Order: sequence, then structure tokens, then C-alpha cells
Amino acid sequence: MGNRDDSPTATIAETRSPAALTRSELLLTKRSRRFRRLGSLLGEGLLFAIASVSTVAVLFIFIFIFKDALPFFTLRGFKEFFTSIAWYPSADPPEFGALAMFIGSGLVTLGAVVVAVPMGVSAAVCLSFVLPFAVRQVVKPVIEILAAIPSVAYGFFALVVFAPLLQTRGPGLLSVAIWLVGVPIILLGAVVAGGLVSRRVSGRFLLAGRTATIVAIVGPGLWLLYRLSGGIRGVEVTSGTNALNVSIILGIMALPTIVSVSEDALQAVGRELREGSYALGATRAETVLRVVIPAAGSGILAAVILGVMRAVGETMVVWMASGNAAQIPEPWFNYLEPVRTLTATIAGDMGEADHVTGSARYHVLFAMALCLLAISFVANLASELVMRRTRRMLGGE
Amino acid sequence: MESKTQLGTRKLLDRSFTGLGVGSIVLMVAALIIVLGPIFVRGWGSFLFRATVEHRQMMLENFGRGDAEVILAEAAAAEQARQPVYVMIARFEEELDEMGSPERREYRGYLGELKDRLRELLGPLPGEPRPVLPRSQYGQTRWDRAVVKLRDVLYVEEYDYSDPTRMGQRILVPRVKDFEGTSLEPLFAYIEQNLTEMLRPRVTFYWRFLFDTSVDAHFFGGIWPEVLGTLYLTVGAMLFAVPLGIVAAIYLAEYAGEGRIISGLRSFISTLAGVPSIVFGLFGLAFFINAIHISRSKSVLAGSLTLAVLVLPTVIRASEEAVRAVPQTYKEAALSVGASKWRTITTVILPAALPGILTGIVISMGRAAGETAPIIFTAAVSVGRPLKLWQTLTQGTPALPWNIYNLATEHEAVDEIRHVQYGMVLTLVLLVLLLNIAAILLRARITRKLRG
Amino acid sequence: MRSVFSKLGKALALMVVVSSLSMFVGGASAAEDKGHEIVIDGSTTVGPIAKAFAEYYMEKYPEVNITVSESGSGNGAKSLINGTCHIADMSRFMKESEFKAAVEKDVLPVAHVVAMDGLAVIVHPSNPASDLTLEQVRDIYLGKITNWNEVGGPEKKIVVISRDTNSGTYETFENIVMRKEKIAAGVEYVGSNGAIRQRVQSTQAAIGYVGLGFVDRTVKALTVNGVAPTGNTVASGKYPIARPLYMFTNRYPKLGSHVHGFVTLHMSKKGQEIIEAIGFVPLTQY
Repeated sequence: MGNRDDSPTATIAETRSPAALTRSELLLTKRSRRFRRLGSLLGEGLLFAIASVSTVAVLFIFIFIFKDALPFFTLRGFKEFFTSIAWYPSADPPEFGALAMFIGSGLVTLGAVVVAVPMGVSAAVCLSFVLPFAVRQVVKPVIEILAAIPSVAYGFFALVVFAPLLQTRGPGLLSVAIWLVGVPIILLGAVVAGGLVSRRVSGRFLLAGRTATIVAIVGPGLWLLYRLSGGIRGVEVTSGTNALNVSIILGIMALPTIVSVSEDALQAVGRELREGSYALGATRAETVLRVVIPAAGSGILAAVILGVMRAVGETMVVWMASGNAAQIPEPWFNYLEPVRTLTATIAGDMGEADHVTGSARYHVLFAMALCLLAISFVANLASELVMRRTRRMLGGE
Repeated sequence: MESKTQLGTRKLLDRSFTGLGVGSIVLMVAALIIVLGPIFVRGWGSFLFRATVEHRQMMLENFGRGDAEVILAEAAAAEQARQPVYVMIARFEEELDEMGSPERREYRGYLGELKDRLRELLGPLPGEPRPVLPRSQYGQTRWDRAVVKLRDVLYVEEYDYSDPTRMGQRILVPRVKDFEGTSLEPLFAYIEQNLTEMLRPRVTFYWRFLFDTSVDAHFFGGIWPEVLGTLYLTVGAMLFAVPLGIVAAIYLAEYAGEGRIISGLRSFISTLAGVPSIVFGLFGLAFFINAIHISRSKSVLAGSLTLAVLVLPTVIRASEEAVRAVPQTYKEAALSVGASKWRTITTVILPAALPGILTGIVISMGRAAGETAPIIFTAAVSVGRPLKLWQTLTQGTPALPWNIYNLATEHEAVDEIRHVQYGMVLTLVLLVLLLNIAAILLRARITRKLRG
Repeated sequence: MRSVFSKLGKALALMVVVSSLSMFVGGASAAEDKGHEIVIDGSTTVGPIAKAFAEYYMEKYPEVNITVSESGSGNGAKSLINGTCHIADMSRFMKESEFKAAVEKDVLPVAHVVAMDGLAVIVHPSNPASDLTLEQVRDIYLGKITNWNEVGGPEKKIVVISRDTNSGTYETFENIVMRKEKIAAGVEYVGSNGAIRQRVQSTQAAIGYVGLGFVDRTVKALTVNGVAPTGNTVASGKYPIARPLYMFTNRYPKLGSHVHGFVTLHMSKKGQEIIEAIGFVPLTQY
């Protein structure tokens, strides 16, 4: 602390005794006050400028992408891009129908949501309310590791390990998955139905009624599962790089986001709500399902939106493992077919380093990037609005 | 009045609900193990494996490593073990010259194939000119690959197309059948029994895999250019992002009010966080390289700038959180002794927030190291030397994420270098995990400090 | 603590100054080629040749740094036109539009033919089909023939794989085989020769096309019109789908410069040996 301080805001605790200080140093003269204010204003202005670099960056990104996307739309219009599935950019005359890519992106995102949302939300619930603190401290790092794994590592796994697995054992794995998911659902459904029945029927018919309901649900349910899995086993997976592969991996990648944001939302729900529900005799499941989740509903929605953003914007996994076929699978829900996404098309055809040759070919990639940007922008806005509403509803953090 | 059965049902539902939650978590952990498992297990194979005498010879000739005398003596001993093989082949070739023409042609064909397989397994046959590509100058350097190639020597892969309703069935016919009745028959049994003497495998820990440059398009050698490139890109990105990020965070936490401009600023920051990584890549190319010509072609500088823009929101968010977490009392204490705002920040708040800021930096480093899309067209090349520091401003570099993609899809001999691909993925994943574990530990230390 | 921060601040300022200075230095050198670096970009077919040449050349001249990217022939051309690379590997000749754009930017592309190549049509080794006519290959890619039993295989849907549209291999295929007709919609696209080979070797019902240097024992090359793709049939022109492999430079490189040494490597015995070892067809019987 021996450095001499030269700034105008010297502290009084300097080396000289108070009596030796001159009048000008002690008093805050107008000039020094103005000087100091100017200095702090300038400093604050500089800080603001630096803080706005991110704004500038976003604006620049938007401007540059828009600048290079616009020529495509002025050249080729909107209709072909958004409604045609004919993607032949190097043909003569070229065709730029990107509908197949939009649908491809949509399909894999939908698949990722189906995989990630149920798992993620129930995991978040479990983490917040069920698990003891010690186990939580172990599980949270697992989630963070899942989030930290680079996307190219996921892509490598999808291409080198998962795709051959799907190709050789795909049908078998899928049928096992159907049983794993289906049996608990059927049992649960049976129990719930049995509970409903027991509420209406009483007395002698109770036991018979419940047994009948349970049998009525479990029986056909198991039979349905059996038929489904048999059918799946007969299906041949011609290529392991398909929409299913990518959907599962994207789901795993989106899980950490969904889990952590949902957890935040669930924990933001005040204790009073939960305790009130317990006081009325509800079980933990009922409290969570009927009280907490609805209260945290918009927060969970925000989590899902963020997860969707992650899935839509992912490049490496889809480039390596989606098969890149510019087609709409037939029927549209056939996930075992290869698809092509917007991000993979940009990555694959990117590097059109200048716009002199094949102008529409160059600009169409920016048009796709613009659409991606718009989607992410809208999703971001939506999640922010939703989060703001949650905050307001729950009366502040 | 609730009946017993209803209560039972509700309890059952409750329990199954808990089960569902626990099941989800178990599934997540299983997913992690399934994804990382093969990477870890097979990735180690590029560091720890049984290396043959060919490997040691290759190391000696290409990297000058190892005791020349010992290795040459070993090579000579291996050569002795292989002598019978070459002698038998030479003798068979003499016999061929004395055969009738149609027979000769058939056997020549079989012999040619056999010699090809032998070359892959043991290296060039004696008397042949040295091949020009390093990959053909040596036999198998890894014992696990040697076992696979041995199978190629001993068996011919044929397909049985007899069934017209399905694709051909693969059958392995022992190659000795091609040479039945000739003097070459005992060759195969000999090779099978003496492969260990011919190749002399020894467990080796090739830790230099991380620090060697690659020889012949990653057939031999290590991954140092890629590792160095990743380090340059990550450090470069942080060099740009950290100052900007910390300053922005300080501004947001200490100076900004809650006005419209400020919330606009914040929403821009979160928008930046949501931009897809490929769009960053496109922007990096269009802006840094094409518009302002920060470098003539791909360069580490352009890649670092692009990555910096990518991680900026994370740095800002983490730093802001850390600054906000500093207790008010610290600030008030500083103000009460007459420190100005700026002085308070630099001397009191920042040091207190440093662990949190560091956590954010470390996590962002992990993110920057692992991203591929932003560097594809701004910095990453497939092949190149490890760069010196001043070269990073103008030249592109190989990098782990990009070369993983490149080796796994575009390489001309993908199956031969599987171990290199796994090694790269393992290195990248370990690098990122180490950074994240460091962040987790830092955060644990902070929470412990705050609590106690 | 203050001292730490002032030191930090000074270090930061120094780094900023140094990096901005070097940015200027780096930018200024854009106009001329320092001679010690060669940037190569372009085709994935020519990639293995460029990489092997680069390694050989860098061993001979340790002060040179050669970087090779393989982003496709089209990207190579664009990089050359933009001045962002010294040598563009291309597996097709430059198009008229590319020449026009080059001349506008004062780039005069000069083609150096380094090797010859044939496009082998490959299938999985378990596939009984062994010979197709050029028309049959076209019909498969047009989507007119959809099942292997129409061309000598069992009853299985054909999985058709093609190269991305930015590829010279794709353009060659489009010109010679497809005769500019459009490829069917359900065709899978991959980004490189290596990727096609990977898909074909792991999928029994797949068909694809790769450069000759990428054919190995894990895939089966079909005979087209009865002619098998080998060095001889490609060199003699008998194989119908053959093409030269190019390296383009901006004007003829300065005699004695490293770029010159690199693009004339294929004329040396060593260069031709390397080309043959990789699996392509050297230009002469060296």
C-alpha cells in the first residue's frame, strides 16, 4: 500500500496530517467535482461501450447474414424455397427447394423433444424433491458432464458406435425399448383405472370391478406391445445414419439444459404451496403433479424451448449421422429413414467463399442461416417472455 | 371418506412416480456411460498397446527415438524368424517357373495375393525396393492390428452367392487350400505359430502420442498439431472474450440500472447465446475473413475471434453472477472508507468475485475447445505443421474437433486409423472434462466459503 | 491486490498492442506470398495425393509449412479465386463461370494435371451384382431401378449414395453418367470419398461411387460396360468414367518458388510413385 496515488479521487488517509492539507485538497471544489463527474461519466460510457460489444456482435451477425440472404430471395422469391422439395443447386437450371430440410430439422427436433422432455422433467422433479442431498451432489456433476461433452464427440459416437449398432441390432433394440417403456405405462394405466373404478363401485362389486378393469387394460395392452415389437423386429434398418439415431443423440444433448432450467423453475415455486398441499393430505406425487408442475409450468415450458433451440442449432451430430438425404421420409413419421437438416446443409455446402460464382448457390446458404437465426431469435424471445411471466406470477425470486 | 384401496392406489401411484423419476436419472447416467464408455475404452488403445518391432523401427527411423543398437538387434532376430517364410516363397517361385503355363498363371495369382497380405503384415519382402509411402515401409506396428492382418493372411474372404433371395454369405476359406499339394503348404501353420517371434510385441505406453506430429496422414505418429491448434484457439478465444466479458459484467452488475436500454442489452446478450454455432461459423467467414480481411485465408486469429464471440455470453453471465454474489457489506465497507466506485470494484469486488469469474472462464474454455462449426472455415485445416506463435496470426491449423470429423469420415483409410480417431476423441473429451471438473471444484470451494 | 491488477492491466494492454500490430503485419502480407507457406484447398479425391506430397515436401524443406484442407473442388476453386489459397485441388476442370469470376479478380487459373483417376462404382462385397451398364447406373441414380433384383442381385431395396453437390467427383459423375439429368430425391449425400466408402462397406444394399484411390478390399468395384476400373483401363481410356485430377494455381508459379516445386512434384519419379502407391494412375509409365 505504499504506492503514491495520483488520481483525483485520493483518499484522505494519505501520508500527511490533516492540518497540513491545503484548503483545496480538503474541500470538494466545484471544478474538481465536475472533473470527477466527467471522469466517472466517461469511464461509465466506456464501460457501456464495451458491454455493448455483444449487442454489436448480434447486430453485425444479423446484418451480415441478412445482407447476404436477401439477394437469394430477390432472385428466386419465397415460394420455391419454402414449398419445394427439389434441392438441385448445381443442376442447370438450379432448383432451391428447401422444404425437405425444414422438415428434416423439424423431425429431428421433435424426436429430440420426445426423448428429452419426459426424461428431463421427471429427472428434474426427482432431483428437486426426491433425492437426498448427497445423491444430488453426485447426480448434478453427471448432468454437467453430459452438457460439457463436445458435439463432435457425440457425432463420433453416433456415427461410429450407434449407427452400426442400429443397423445390425436396431430392430431388436427398438423392440426392447418398446417393452421397457410400454410395460410400466400399461401397469400404471391399469392401476389408475383400477383406482378410478374403485371410486365409483363399492361393496361386493369392488373386487370384481377392479380385477376386471385391470385385466381389461393389461391384457390388450400387452398384446398390443407384443404385436408392435414383433412388427418392429421385422423392419429392416437399411441405414444406421437416420433420423432416429440423430433424435436420440440430440435428446441426450438437450437433456442437461432441460433438467437444469426445469429444476430452477421447480425450486422457484414457494415452499408454502408444497407444504399447503402436504397439509391437505396429498402424496408427494399428487403434490408435484397437481400443484408444483402447474405452478412451474411456464418455467418448464421455457426449459423445453431452450432444449428445442439446442436441438435445432446442432450441426456436427446431424452432419455426421443423419444420412443427409434431401427427402421427406415416407410416411413422415418413419424415423428410420435418413433426413437432412438446415444446419447440415449449411455445413456441407459452406465455404462458398465469395459470391461471384453461382450467386444463388451462395446466397441460399445464408437464407438458411437467416431462417435458423430467426427461429432461435423467436425461441429466445418466447422463453424470455415465459420466464418473465413465471417470475411475475411467483412474486419475484 | 376415503377407502383403504384408494389410499393404496395413491400410495402406489406415488411410489411409481418416484420410480419414474429415479428411472429417468438412471437412464441419464446410463446414457453417459454408454456414450463415454467406448471412447474411454478404445481411446486408451492409442496410448497403451502392444507395440511390435515394426513400431520400434518406425520410431527410430522417423523420430530418432530408442536405442539404435537394441532395436536393430531385435529387428535382426525378427528377420531370422521370418527367414523360413521368405525362403519358402522364393523356392515356390522357382517351382513356378518350371510349371506349365495355365497352372502357373493360377498360382501366380494366388501367390500375388499372398504376398500382398504378407506385406501388410510384415512389411516389404526382402529384395524389394523400399516403398515410397511410410505406411507401406513397415509391417503392422500394433499387435491388435497384426492379429487382424494375420487373419487376412490365413483366410480368403469369399462370398457365397448361391442363394438368390439374399445377399452373399461371407465364408472364410483357409488360404492353404489355394496351395494344396505344393511346397507352400506348411507356410501358413508356421506363420500362425511364430507370429510372436516375427513381430515381438511388447506392451508400450506411447504417451508421446500427444506430442508427436503425425507421419503419413496419421498412419503413424501422434496428434500434436491438433492438440496445439486446439490450445491456441482456446487461449486465443479467451484472450478476447475475458476482458470484454468481465468489463461487461461489471457494467451490468454495478453501473447499469434497470432501464429499457439495459434490459435491451441483456436480451441481446441472451440472443447471442442462442445463435446456432454454424451461423457463427458463417459469420466468422463472412466478416472476419472476407469483410475486414483479418487474415488472408484461414487463421487461428480469425478462429479465435469467432470462438470469442461464441463464448462471450457465457463469460458475461458467469461474471455478472459472481459480481452480484459479492455481499453488499464488502461494498459498503469500502465506500465507507471513502473509496470511489471504480476503486471499490477493482480492489474489493473483483477479487472477491474472482473464483466465480474463474469458474465461468474455465467452463467457457471447455466450450471453446470443443466447438467445431465455428472453426470449419475460419481456422481448421486437415494437415499442417504445429504452428509457432507468430504463425497463428496468418495460418490455419489442424484442431482436435475438426480432425476428429475429418479422420472419421474423409480419410482414405478410416479403418486402419480407428485407434487414432478414438485417441483424438479421448484427448478432447478429457481436456474438456478436466476443465469442467476444475470448474466444479472451484464452485464447491466457493459454496463452502460462502456457507462457512 | 492493486499491484496485481495494475500488472494484469499492463499485460493486457501489451497483449492488445502486440496483437493489433501483428494484425496489421499479417494483413499487409496478404498481397504477396512469403514463400514459406503453401495453402492448399479443394478436392477430397486429390486430398490424399496433396497430403502425401505435402509430407514429402516438408521433409525435404523443413522451413516450409504446407496446410491442406479438403472441402471440395468447388471450394478449392473459390479459394483460389479469392486469393485465400495458393493451390486448388480439383477433381474436375474449372467451370466457365469460375473462369469468368477469376479473370474479374485478376486471377488467371493454370491447370496442372497431376494424375488420372477413374470413378469406381462400388457395392458391398456380399452383393452378387458384378457388372452394370452405364445406363443401369444412371437409372439407379435416377430412381428408375429401385431394387437389386432388377440388376442381378437379391430382392433388396437399393440404398443410393452420392457426393455432396460441392464435389468435383459429383460433377464428374453428373456429367458422364447422369448426362445432366437430376438425381432422385431419396439419395443420401455424404461429404467425401471416404464417407461414401464407409457407408457402402457398412450397408449391404448400398451403391456409391468413389475415386480409384479409395477402392480397397472392404468394397467391391463393379465393372461398368464390362470394363473393370484399373490403372490400365483408366489410362487407356477404356473405362468409361475416367477423369484427370488437377491442381490449379494463379498463373504459372514463379520458377524456383516452393509452389512451383510442389506442383511439379508429380513429374518426378518419386511423385509418380507416391501417386501409384495411393492408388491413382500416374500420368506416365515412369
